[in-house]
Amino acid sequence: MHLYKTIKSFLFDQEYFIDMYQKYIHVYSFVDIVTLEEEKIILQMPTFLLTMEGKEFRILKLTKNEILIEGILESLMVKNES
Amino acid sequence: MNHNACWIQIDAKEQTRFLLKCFKLKIPIYETKTTNEFLYLKINEEDYAKVKKFWFVKVKKCGVTGFKKLKEVLYFHRVFLFCGLVGIILLFFLSHIMVSVQVIHSSKNIRDVVKNSLKEKGIRKNSWRKSYQEIEQIKDSILEEYPDLLEWLEIEIKGMNYIVRVEERKKETIEKEKTSCHIVAKKDGLVKEMIFDKGEARVKVNDSVKKGDILISGIITKDNEEKGIVCASGEVFGEVWYTISVSVPMKYQIKERTGKKRWNLRFRNLYYDNLLLKSRIESFEEERKSIVNIFGNELFFVTQYEVKNIEKSYSEEEALEKALNEGISKLQSTFGEKDKILAKKVLKKEVNNSTMNVEIFVAVEENIGQEQEFVKE
Repeated sequence: MHLYKTIKSFLFDQEYFIDMYQKYIHVYSFVDIVTLEEEKIILQMPTFLLTMEGKEFRILKLTKNEILIEGILESLMVKNES
Repeated sequence: MNHNACWIQIDAKEQTRFLLKCFKLKIPIYETKTTNEFLYLKINEEDYAKVKKFWFVKVKKCGVTGFKKLKEVLYFHRVFLFCGLVGIILLFFLSHIMVSVQVIHSSKNIRDVVKNSLKEKGIRKNSWRKSYQEIEQIKDSILEEYPDLLEWLEIEIKGMNYIVRVEERKKETIEKEKTSCHIVAKKDGLVKEMIFDKGEARVKVNDSVKKGDILISGIITKDNEEKGIVCASGEVFGEVWYTISVSVPMKYQIKERTGKKRWNLRFRNLYYDNLLLKSRIESFEEERKSIVNIFGNELFFVTQYEVKNIEKSYSEEEALEKALNEGISKLQSTFGEKDKILAKKVLKKEVNNSTMNVEIFVAVEENIGQEQEFVKE
């Protein structure tokens, strides 16, 4: 387990990250799902609120701190809570 | 993580609520697929019990993955897999069993010697196939065992059979050339014909000779003077007389089918040859038809025809003819190529206790000469 944790901390050395691909959005280390709709998804990140707007959003993978979304992203908004 | 995963199906309309609930309960979702009506999700097997309790949606399990899936697939195809496995084992078994050993050579003696030697070394009918190295060793050891008899030996594997080809070692027989010999009579008789290319004739056609008489001499003379010595060679045919005694029973038995028949099964192998069902006919003749033959274990379908023994008698003429034929054929079995019967006659016949005793006189023309070496004093 120690080895696994070491490798993981080496690979995921950021507190959070957001990956964007042509049709996919991958968000790592989100805290909560605020809104989950076909055209709008709002995720609570550690220090801000992430709002994604677009079309045909669909959840492909969902774990306690990671989400993979398929869909056409039209806008991405970061709202700092502080 | 996914070793014990399963696929579940839910109503697509309730997917948002379902996903949020899963997130709240920390139920990981590894994969999703959607259709118009349903959403399919891959979750851990142990989480299935949790999601099944969701009151707002009907959850249906529709498949497993990982080791469980493998187990399911194996179980579903168990008959096919079992047959395949049995087939492979059978194929392996059959391709390693040899059902016959065939030794190819014109001489029975050599065939028997090689067969026995092979048997001792483990190359026999219905045995496990030997490896190439073992066969090579066996070949060499047989050739070493019979250096004067065998020149060359090859053991070939053809399907489930051993084919053994043998070459005999030809001996160079240096025949000692005889330098001085006579042709002498081996039986009493009357000279009928003489053919010779070496030597000097001591008898003429129609001369009566006794056993041991010189017929063609190896000593060449001229004017009573010895001129040289050769090994006489030739053939002297003489008339020889035989008296043969033959006894023939006047009664004989024949088997006649009554028309009644029954069916049975017969099993035969090297050690066993018996009917499988109890025979309901006491005396019968049977016709066999092979049904199956596996490694020398053969099963026959048998038709048994009931027969009864009928006793018959020969007339005197028939008995006499039979006795003559028997006597002549017995004599002919000792004949050479050019020997022939000149005359035959019944000397005496008498019937005693259902047996006919016949004495036959036979005159035969045969080669009465044989080579005999002599030493010049």
